[in-house]
Amino acid sequence: MMQQDKQSDLPRSAEVVVIGAGVSGCSVAREVVKYTPDVVILEKESDVSDATTKANNAEIHSGIGEKYGTLKQKLNVRGNRLYDEFVKDLGVDFQRHGLLIVITPRTLPESITGRLPGPVVNFLLERIVPRLILASAWRKGIKGQRILSREEIFRMEPHVTRNAVAGVFDPSYGMVAPYKLTIALAENAVQNGAKLFLNTEVTDIRVEDGRVRVVVTDRGEIETSLVVNAAGVFADEVADMAGAGGFRIHPRKGASLLFDRDVTRDYVRSSVSEFRMHGKVEKKSKGGGAMPTLEGNLQLGPTAIEGDDKYDTSISADEIQEIFDRFYYLLPGFPRAAMISAFSGIRAATEEEDFVIGASEGAHGFVNVAGIQSPGLASAPAIAEMVMGILHDLGIPRRRRDDYNPKRPAPPRFAELDNEERDRLIEEDPRYGHVICRCEYVTEAEAVNAIHAIIPATNMDAVKRRTRIGMGRCQGGFCHYRIAQILARELGVPVTEITKDGEGSWLFAGETKSFLKAER
Amino acid sequence: MNKTRKPELAVIGAGPAGLGAALAASKAGLNDIMLIERDIELGGILPQCIHDGFGSIVFKEVLTGPQYAQRFIDEVERANVDVRLRTMVLEMTGDRRVTVVNDREGIIEIEPKSVVLAMGCRERTRHQVMLPGFRPAGVITAGAAQRDINIEGLMPGRKIVILGSGDIGLIMARRFVLEGAYVEGVYEIMDHPGGLTRNVVQCLNDFDIPLHLSHTATFIHGRKRVEAVSVARVDEDLKPIKETERRVPCDTLVLSVGLIPENELSKHAGVELDPVTGGPFVDERMETSVDGIFACGNVVNVFDLVDYVTHSAEVAGRGAAEYVLEGRKKEAPVRVVPGRNVKYVVPQYVSDLDRDIDFYFRVEHPERAVAARILADGRLLAGKKHRMVRPPEMIKQSASAVDFAGAGGAREITVEVVAGEEQA
Repeated sequence: MMQQDKQSDLPRSAEVVVIGAGVSGCSVAREVVKYTPDVVILEKESDVSDATTKANNAEIHSGIGEKYGTLKQKLNVRGNRLYDEFVKDLGVDFQRHGLLIVITPRTLPESITGRLPGPVVNFLLERIVPRLILASAWRKGIKGQRILSREEIFRMEPHVTRNAVAGVFDPSYGMVAPYKLTIALAENAVQNGAKLFLNTEVTDIRVEDGRVRVVVTDRGEIETSLVVNAAGVFADEVADMAGAGGFRIHPRKGASLLFDRDVTRDYVRSSVSEFRMHGKVEKKSKGGGAMPTLEGNLQLGPTAIEGDDKYDTSISADEIQEIFDRFYYLLPGFPRAAMISAFSGIRAATEEEDFVIGASEGAHGFVNVAGIQSPGLASAPAIAEMVMGILHDLGIPRRRRDDYNPKRPAPPRFAELDNEERDRLIEEDPRYGHVICRCEYVTEAEAVNAIHAIIPATNMDAVKRRTRIGMGRCQGGFCHYRIAQILARELGVPVTEITKDGEGSWLFAGETKSFLKAER
Repeated sequence: MNKTRKPELAVIGAGPAGLGAALAASKAGLNDIMLIERDIELGGILPQCIHDGFGSIVFKEVLTGPQYAQRFIDEVERANVDVRLRTMVLEMTGDRRVTVVNDREGIIEIEPKSVVLAMGCRERTRHQVMLPGFRPAGVITAGAAQRDINIEGLMPGRKIVILGSGDIGLIMARRFVLEGAYVEGVYEIMDHPGGLTRNVVQCLNDFDIPLHLSHTATFIHGRKRVEAVSVARVDEDLKPIKETERRVPCDTLVLSVGLIPENELSKHAGVELDPVTGGPFVDERMETSVDGIFACGNVVNVFDLVDYVTHSAEVAGRGAAEYVLEGRKKEAPVRVVPGRNVKYVVPQYVSDLDRDIDFYFRVEHPERAVAARILADGRLLAGKKHRMVRPPEMIKQSASAVDFAGAGGAREITVEVVAGEEQA
């Protein structure tokens, strides 16, 4: 069962409590239900995947960008390998479209190129740098990479700068919609007995005799002996509640731009990024790239900007300009006027710039899954595997449940069907014949399915993440009121109570004439 | 359920353009016309335009949007047009195969002898004007706000800031005030209003709503709901001047920052688009670059008056009828070129100089005491004096078949605006 509203009671106890319903928390929860159904997931936002995860740029990295020997690097490489199996039963699109690493005259820092004669620089760029990338990949256990000549680059990606000198193609890179994956993981966990509580904030964790005892929330307490802290940018604060901290999460913002897919379909076919061997930004984030979304939009980014506000998901004019400037070099003349959306999220980075995963020594039964910044999405299967190992050591039986059902039912998507399949669906349910989102061709039936899914979508953004309604070029201008009305109808509440994204994000100030009546 | 229909004409969109085209085609002799509309009623955007100012040219009287639409709806109902409401076009190919869907009949394949594109336009969003900040609830385009208030009966906010002084923005400023909401002001990045003068007077001045020219919004504040908008004066390059930035508390930001012809279907069918108008290249019959596909109204370029939309629709409807009934062969078209102080002209091509043609165009910058002129290879064909021309206002200049006499074989037609002393 899935419980939503503030009044419904939390269970008195649970075998495992997972704090945070981002991709890490939901991956772990889905792994745990394979062994025990007695799992509670707590999320303070109004939907799963509603913070850092939703703004992730969707890439499944290979691990080539990570420093050798770090936990991130190991889990990324393993996670990438596990991905096909990971998503198999979830009804989520996953594609390996590959990464093209482009080597340009800017690849080497000027401190090197300035001191060497041109032909030597060229030799380094053309011959040495690609081999260095290959060697680095080999050392990290990443296979299948190959070196490309300029001509091969342009054949593969015709819009790439003619300044390209050479390239490396990494076929293992993939793409998955982070929020769709997380929703599917959470739904499969709930199908198998997990209980999800949204709009529920953890306020304290009680530890007695060195053991976790109680998780306190703003709507009640749960007794438990196992807590998984997957609280994203707040993981340090949650760890401190149990005295299991000692690390600090510093928020690092990442902004991405999204373009109209009608204009930018196939503008790039794989992820494309310029290889730069200098610059501090590149050390902390992979520096972003250009990539096609699964639906065919061009996406640029993300940036990496240090901040101090864990809620600051704004984008400044400078950030947009920075992205434009950076990609004008790599993709000269990309259609900037076709930009339809910009979004940003907060990475949960630690000072050490590595994942913090492990059982606490001070608070027995408390497991940190913290510092999960990029490549957290790519690492998710490996993170779940590692955390499960820890939970087994802490007492979760190693025997799989016989009744575990890995298959999460995925509702049909009108836009992706052929006309015969569409006709069949419309005959069953005429609402499949009512297209309510003209940009993304989403039908009323799909909105209704989302609202009544295993994890119900109860606001506009939640419906949008599940169906793509409002994600197109009009950005909801033509359909927002219809979605609000459908939500109101299906949830049985007045339309004025429907929100964009949970409490405080009201859409309508009242009915017409209501202000005038109030004045009288 | 494989259903195929083969009408003489399929009109896509039943706003003023689609209604006008369907009627004109019917009057010109077509008997089997399908009118396809995705909304639940006919009229397009007009039913939500409850202010007046419509019809002064077509009907010689001042009507509201719903009244204007109703006159066409009544006629369409009498004209035996096959109307399909709540029906969405999914695809159109270059050989005019149209796939549509609705909840009564499922998928319908249509193979019409001709097509009129009348999908209208959509509003530019915050991201298309690169407006930075958070992404809270309460950022809404003016047309969407108009729909909420006038059709759905819902107030999108209480304390309003409006960015952009396009006509819908101006009209909505007044509408919000009439509904008891507070409008803090209208901010316009250019040094002149984007909408018609009459709307500035009747919607802002008469209601004491300040219009801040040469100003723009620089940041949207508020994580869940809009809490404030930062605004600033802009310099000559339209860049915000940092020192002039101030924070305006509000709960809603209404955007009236331009309209874009909606041509996704046209593009898929291979219709060539004019990068300046954002709409298809058309000739004097409103035929696009694809044989048998016509276009009219705001899908071609964003008109300022619905009356002109109707005019263009009548031309397109007649053109489609002519195409079906007479199987007209296309002659080598003459290019119509924007000359001095002309941003663009519709139609962009003329294939047949043997008829009356209306040229619609916009100027690049405001100018007083001018003449608008039409020339064929430099020879003056027609012209008219104007006291004042302004970019938001469309100029219509007709040239009759008589004017064109002797222009046969012309290589180029130019439309220009010149200083008044040069005689028209």
